[in-house]
Amino acid sequence: MIQVFDLTKIYSTGAQPVIALKDVNFEVKAGEFVAVMGPSGSGKSTMMNLLGCLDTPTSGSYKLDGIDISTLDETGMARVRNQKIGFVFQNFNLLPRMTALRNVELPMLYAGIDVRERMRRATSALERVGLADRINHRPNQISGGQVQRVAIARALVNEPAVILADEPTGNLDTRSGEEIMAIFQELNRGGSTIVLVTHERDIALHASRIIHFRDGRLVDDEKVETSLDAVEQKKIMGESNPRQGGK
Amino acid sequence: MSLLESIRVALEGIRANKLRSFLTTLGIIIGIAAVIAVVAIGQGGRAILMAEMEKLGTNIFTIYVDWRSGAQPTGKMLELSDVQVLKDKVPGITHISANTSTMEDVRGSKNKKYSRVSGVSSDYEYIRKMTIKTGHFFSREDDSLGRRVAVLDEALADEIFGRSKPVGNIIRIGSTPFIVVGVVAKGDSILGLSEEPRVFIPSRSWQNMFGTYVNSLEGSALSREKVQETMEQAVKVLERRHRSSAQYVSYSMEQEMQSANQVTGIMTLIIGAIAGISLLVGGIGVMNIMLVSVTERTREIGIRIALGASRKDILTQFLIESVVLCLIGGIIGMLLGVGGAFLIAKLANWPPLVSWWTMLIAFTFSATIGIIFGMLPANKAAKMNPIEALRRDT
Repeated sequence: MIQVFDLTKIYSTGAQPVIALKDVNFEVKAGEFVAVMGPSGSGKSTMMNLLGCLDTPTSGSYKLDGIDISTLDETGMARVRNQKIGFVFQNFNLLPRMTALRNVELPMLYAGIDVRERMRRATSALERVGLADRINHRPNQISGGQVQRVAIARALVNEPAVILADEPTGNLDTRSGEEIMAIFQELNRGGSTIVLVTHERDIALHASRIIHFRDGRLVDDEKVETSLDAVEQKKIMGESNPRQGGK
Repeated sequence: MSLLESIRVALEGIRANKLRSFLTTLGIIIGIAAVIAVVAIGQGGRAILMAEMEKLGTNIFTIYVDWRSGAQPTGKMLELSDVQVLKDKVPGITHISANTSTMEDVRGSKNKKYSRVSGVSSDYEYIRKMTIKTGHFFSREDDSLGRRVAVLDEALADEIFGRSKPVGNIIRIGSTPFIVVGVVAKGDSILGLSEEPRVFIPSRSWQNMFGTYVNSLEGSALSREKVQETMEQAVKVLERRHRSSAQYVSYSMEQEMQSANQVTGIMTLIIGAIAGISLLVGGIGVMNIMLVSVTERTREIGIRIALGASRKDILTQFLIESVVLCLIGGIIGMLLGVGGAFLIAKLANWPPLVSWWTMLIAFTFSATIGIIFGMLPANKAAKMNPIEALRRDT
């Protein structure tokens, strides 16, 4: 699904060029659930931007679902973002003025899908994340965990090749975080390919594989023997266990 | 993204900031309203002026001696006999009259009034399309014999006679007695005879009293189209007769109308241009707020790009928002402008002329302003780096 060859990214905006990524090679197969870990400055965010087609590499190549991204122009990249990638962000990034439904419809707007189909698919995506009764709420009317679930529904709605989640639990309490991870695991069981960036091992352990970045290089590719099951974790936690960074 | 969707998104954006959107478009509203009102009132004013001039007659002309031409006029440039000569020699002339006037006290049975005393020929009645209220205008014979007969205008008659009937009574112009033979009704034209009280006497009688000169000749031609030609022929005859050239000045109502048309046209244009400048200023206001809006919505732009909006989609979105904003302003401005034009027209008592093309121009103009002044902000939005945009707090 994802093939990365000798990917290098150098930022030359400052006085001294900064090497953010250096000769990174890896592959993510369809249906895999991969966590990307590393301290800040390790290049994992840069990696995420490149995978998300929000940025272009200095050298090397990146293939997503068989498409060589380096050959694409601006519009082509926009189409790939729209059709092949579903983003989930740490700070949710929903449009605050719009209802959950409208937010989830947004990617389909740029895909040119007609109103009725948009409505149908957005509703069903919201049902999948368990928010059927919240479709007409705005982001400020629901909890942080629910907001992130709307964002996941939005990421799903165009049936992307890969879901890219950048610290999706970072702004949530542990309990809500586990709920989100449960959804990801559920989606993964349904066949979705997921790449998740995190700096918390507890979260990364929900994936089936962890790749580690340090100083712009891929330093370790770790297979998780027995992934943490989010549903189980939630049961262990019990009712409430607020964590720092919770919204 | 389809155009309809873009418009919907734009409307959502505008609705989210109602007050600001309104204040932003205020410049456009005022600009469009001003342009429409000014043009409508200008057009209405011009129409009424033209109608009034037409009422006076489009086929009339005046010839007088140009005393400012520098060269000293030789001999008598205009004489009473010219009236008959022109009538004989220029077939295009339907009526012609001498016209000379002075101010003098006119005394009736009740009062006296300092009035304009005009010596004219009997044709004057027809040239000026006078309506006789009572009695009749003096005849050609009265003129040629220099009879002391007078025609008063209605206002003067009321003033100096009060309730008693003027016709058949005596008035004194200075100390000379005249018999009143008729009263002319006040014209309904606002451009017509001036407000000052007037009395008309035969031109010969006038010369007998005040001196043998003639200020001007007034005439009417067969038709509006013929007036220029007729007038020029008349001037030629006069030049030949008095052996002088280039010292007569002539102008027709037709010329007068053309120059009035030109003047009102220029006035409308100038005021319209000033209003247009206010529209430009309004456009700059829109651009300003759109730039602020783009900055404020940096994160939104980042999100949209991440979700698959192309640069073109972002550009279109902000451009449409700017156009929609300007069009809303344009429509409100149009309504205000038309309303204002009707209001002012009602107060000034003339018909406002709101033509469909003014509306069309206003509409196109506001859309164009939206595009022109939306371009810079929209471009700024489209060029945004999504990674930085997503990292923003706003």
